[in-house]
Amino acid sequence: MSTTHGDRTALRDLWNNLRAAPRRIAAAAFRTGAPVTDRARSSFVFGNVFLHIHPVRTHRWSLRWTTTLGLGVAAAAAFIITLVTGVLLMFYYKPYPDVAYHSIKDIHYVVPTGRFIRNLHRWAANVMVIAVLAHMARVFYTAAYRPPREFNWLIGLALLVVTLALSFTGYLLPWDQLAYWAITIGANIAQSPRELTDALGITHVFDPGGFLRELLLGSDTVGEEALIRFYVLHVMILPLALLALLAVHFWRIRKDGGLARPADADQRLGNAAGISPVFTAGPVKTYHLAAVVEGRTPAVGQGPENTVPSMPHLFIAECAVLMLTVFICLALSLVSDAPLKELANPNVPENPAKAPWYFLGLQELVSYSALAGGMIVPGIVVLGLGLIPFLDREHAGSGTWFGGPGGGRLVLGSAVFGLAAVLAVEAFAIRFGWLRQWYAHMPQPVITAINPGTVIALIYAVYSLRVVKHYASARAGAVALFTCFVCGFVVLTVIGVHFRGPNWAFYWSPAEWPGH
Amino acid sequence: MSGQSQPARSRLAPEPVPRRDLLGMAAWSAFFGSLLFASIGMLRLPKAAVVASRSKKFRISLPRSLSAGEAYVPPGRNVAVFQDAGGVYAISLVCTHLGCIVKPGPQGFECPCHGSHFGPDGSVLGGPAPRGLPWRAVSMDGNDLIIDDDATVPPGTKVKA
Amino acid sequence: MNANRHLLLWSSLGALALLIVAAVQENFLRDWRRIQSRVRLDGQPVDVRLRQVVVPRFGVTDRCVSCHLGMVLPGRTSSGDRLAGAHPPVVHDPAEFGCTVCHGGQGRATEAADAHGDVPHWPQPMIPLGSAYAGCGTCHIHPRVPQLRRLEEARNVVERSDCLSCHRIDGRGGTVRPGGRGGMEGPDLSRVGLRGYDRAWYEKHLQRARSADDVVWRGAIPPLGSADLEAIGLFLDSRVGAPRLMEAKALFHSLGCRGCHKVNGAGGDDGPDLTMIGARDPGQLDFTHVPGKRTLAAWLSAHTRDPARVVPGSRMPKQMLSEAQIDLLTCYLLSLRGRDFPGDQWPRDRTLVRAIGHREVGGDGGDLFAAFCSACHGDRGQGMRFPGSPPFPAIGNPDFLAVATDAFIAETIRRGRPGRRMPAFDESAGGLRGDEIAAITGFLRGRASVAEPRPTNSAARWIRADAASGRALYSRYCAGCHGVDGEGTDAPALNNPVLLATAGDDYFFETIRRGRRMTAMHGFREASVVHPTLSDSQIQEIVAHLRTLERR
Repeated sequence: MSTTHGDRTALRDLWNNLRAAPRRIAAAAFRTGAPVTDRARSSFVFGNVFLHIHPVRTHRWSLRWTTTLGLGVAAAAAFIITLVTGVLLMFYYKPYPDVAYHSIKDIHYVVPTGRFIRNLHRWAANVMVIAVLAHMARVFYTAAYRPPREFNWLIGLALLVVTLALSFTGYLLPWDQLAYWAITIGANIAQSPRELTDALGITHVFDPGGFLRELLLGSDTVGEEALIRFYVLHVMILPLALLALLAVHFWRIRKDGGLARPADADQRLGNAAGISPVFTAGPVKTYHLAAVVEGRTPAVGQGPENTVPSMPHLFIAECAVLMLTVFICLALSLVSDAPLKELANPNVPENPAKAPWYFLGLQELVSYSALAGGMIVPGIVVLGLGLIPFLDREHAGSGTWFGGPGGGRLVLGSAVFGLAAVLAVEAFAIRFGWLRQWYAHMPQPVITAINPGTVIALIYAVYSLRVVKHYASARAGAVALFTCFVCGFVVLTVIGVHFRGPNWAFYWSPAEWPGH
Repeated sequence: MSGQSQPARSRLAPEPVPRRDLLGMAAWSAFFGSLLFASIGMLRLPKAAVVASRSKKFRISLPRSLSAGEAYVPPGRNVAVFQDAGGVYAISLVCTHLGCIVKPGPQGFECPCHGSHFGPDGSVLGGPAPRGLPWRAVSMDGNDLIIDDDATVPPGTKVKA
Repeated sequence: MNANRHLLLWSSLGALALLIVAAVQENFLRDWRRIQSRVRLDGQPVDVRLRQVVVPRFGVTDRCVSCHLGMVLPGRTSSGDRLAGAHPPVVHDPAEFGCTVCHGGQGRATEAADAHGDVPHWPQPMIPLGSAYAGCGTCHIHPRVPQLRRLEEARNVVERSDCLSCHRIDGRGGTVRPGGRGGMEGPDLSRVGLRGYDRAWYEKHLQRARSADDVVWRGAIPPLGSADLEAIGLFLDSRVGAPRLMEAKALFHSLGCRGCHKVNGAGGDDGPDLTMIGARDPGQLDFTHVPGKRTLAAWLSAHTRDPARVVPGSRMPKQMLSEAQIDLLTCYLLSLRGRDFPGDQWPRDRTLVRAIGHREVGGDGGDLFAAFCSACHGDRGQGMRFPGSPPFPAIGNPDFLAVATDAFIAETIRRGRPGRRMPAFDESAGGLRGDEIAAITGFLRGRASVAEPRPTNSAARWIRADAASGRALYSRYCAGCHGVDGEGTDAPALNNPVLLATAGDDYFFETIRRGRRMTAMHGFREASVVHPTLSDSQIQEIVAHLRTLERR
């Protein structure tokens, strides 16, 4: 209708719409209203693309501190910190040899907030590795990998590998002496299959070692090819892989019915003040049929659930852990600068040349046999970890700390045994040397097969098999084995960090190192 | 959450007005406040504190065969140096319109990008340029000239060689 | 549930507090901000921001000027501290060259300790101010620097000739009449060695003195002989704007250090090559026996003072040097830090030395001897004894020069004594050319006034005698000092292959006959009540025995 009267109304409407626009924009963005009713709280969660990976209601057991120690959220929080600080660092970092070093010096000295952000990035990365390892230990000790959560355990393993790969690729980027020689060692560990193929004389036909090393470095030395390769892995490929795996990891938690809890969780929780039961006299809950799932899910028509709305309880818990992690990382970066040694110099090796701390346990084993310490033992460990949910099909003790046969005493006993075994083997090797020191022509395959790494792994395996027999439980054996390996990892890492000096010789303290 | 256990009620009905959760509000405010402060801090990062460009002050020796009105452009620099009876002077070759490099010629300077014309003294004769080409500071040091491409001097400033 | 809220609240507040601390630290508590806010340029405050000098051709990004503001600001700066003052007048403008090229240090840093390089993991800390001229060595290698004695004599000639009344040199002089260009009568000669000068200056000065009608000129030019003119020329050639470095290099050329140490390819190989000693990373040095700060300068001074203490097992002799001399030597050693950069950027002196082959040591035989030989053989060729090492022969000894041919001396210098302390100074090994070796020989002969001996026999190896009896005689009379197998315990080694290959029989024969005065080698021919005498035939037998040592 286009009468003059209609035009004026249309113009007035236009003007009124313009004036109402800000309010309407806000309403379009935030539709659910203040989350003061349970319904509003629910739609707050599932109506938001970022938040709807959370459940609308969370079981009270999951919110207890002792259930998870917040380690998963801490790991994710550390990752977010590295993501944000990493993107900021990308504004100034230049991935070319020598130029990279100077760009980091510039970040440290000149870029506004640069020093602080670089320190944050480095500390958050370290916190992430620690949190991820601690989280894995928590999940294991609470037997939260049991069905239906086996797949999530495997995803978690993949996340662990990607986290370590992120840390390793990032280590090269400063292009200083520390970075250059650590990655030189890493690339040569990748080449360690040659230990065997050389001894068997088949390297010219079958050379997985050389192939791996060249894939990693893009060339035969650590140079500009390696740097750009590691840079692309570190800033794009691995973070995207991590985000994808994280999405699956969180999704699986939802689909597996939330965090693992013991069967008697409700009794142990008791009644909490102020929690309203979900179901009223006349249930008016409606469901959209989204899927029909097998197994145990929140069943309709049962008694009061021990769940609370995720908004605000879960979010407060998550944000609290996030801010605690942020606080710890901030405090660390204020007081301790990220290291930067001299510019990388291919003619002057660092002595000792040490890998990042989380690989120093491996490097200790590598010092006896590269293939065993670099590939065989880690491969066995990853394989073993991956098989745990498929070998332990019991039910006792799911969701509680040290649940299952043996309990806390088994953990303690295994810890003592594990410590004793690794200390004994290491002390022997340090004091008396190993194989080739006694017999100079010892063939390499013998050393690859028999070295402190494989010996310790064998001792642990035998011990855990005995535990299986004694307790008639695979879970008990898994607990024993896992605990032993944790102790072995800790001891080997400490030895690698503190007690190894120039030429990888044993020193009681860095003060005793010869030379400068 | 405090208070006693409440009887079951319809989920669709709004709750009775709860006690204000001051602790929760304070916690969320602190949370968003610190994140806001962090974001503002991070926003400072992209603005460079120093710009890594090379020094604009440089030293040249004038070729002896330079005739009056003939431009000498030191290699790698965007300044034209002239010498005539009044002395030595330098005019910037960066077009004042959008920064292309103008070409010195017998009638002055021409810009290839949008056609600005400048006279031999740098003043605008035509085209979209808003103002004339700036004159740069020249000083003597022994037999050499020091040109400062950062320092502008009034047009017509000449230095006796 | 409250616990989580508390955790969220307190950790957020804590994080906020830490962020505020970080913000304050960065924006208010930086040293350079504090320093810049106190500076006034012509009375006005300056813009407080980071400043830098970027010179791509040297790979330099120097932020020293964020604190040392006066180095790049035009106009008069003033502030509470000297820090913001202008650079003293030097050859190279800091705005063109940056700071670290000459001074060392970490240019990219913006904190004082980091920028001065006194931090771990920075291999090139700043050169101490007292040796600031050592920075010239980054790019420059001055040719033809004589020994210090000649430089000082040349300086005396310049002072005596009263050049300084009209000319300023190194900040002194030029005050007789401040009306000329630059405020004095004649040009400043402090850098005249860099670009060269008119070699006919004396004639021109005389001409001007004759034709001038003002009183200052008429009496100004003294009569100067050719020796004086040469000395003045030598002095002017060394005026390059780095007086202390020239003095230091001249001292280095007087102490004979190049006898054991190579610098830029010329020198012996008994000790390490010093060409890049000034660029050594102090983090790689052993400071166990070095007192004081862990700097390269401190290490070098301590080492020069007492080498065996700083480097256990070192064979470098301890020379009696004064503290001033040690400081000067340290300055020179610190200057040995030549950086690699493209040849088209090289200064003239470096091109002359590295590409065209000009010599760093003055070409005079005496200068060469002082620079290469005097540390071991003494400044007069009188020989030296150091604890723990066999004695170094007295090659200036007239009796030696009377029996040694020039060819023998030249071959000895060229090939050295393998297995003993004398290095090979051949052009491919020690960098000495044939004419330079001849100049050294000429110097020795001139000093002792002993001409080259004429050969008495046509063949070099004319002795035919019984080596077996020679051996018995040798064990009786010679082995005490020269060793049972001629290995040389307290005296020169007679079994050295180069010695035996280059020395003719004449040399051995005459030496044994005549001896060498003022040394333990006495002549065995002359009758004496104090020491044994040998007949000519006996001496020939000994020489025959010596020849058998050749084959072992």
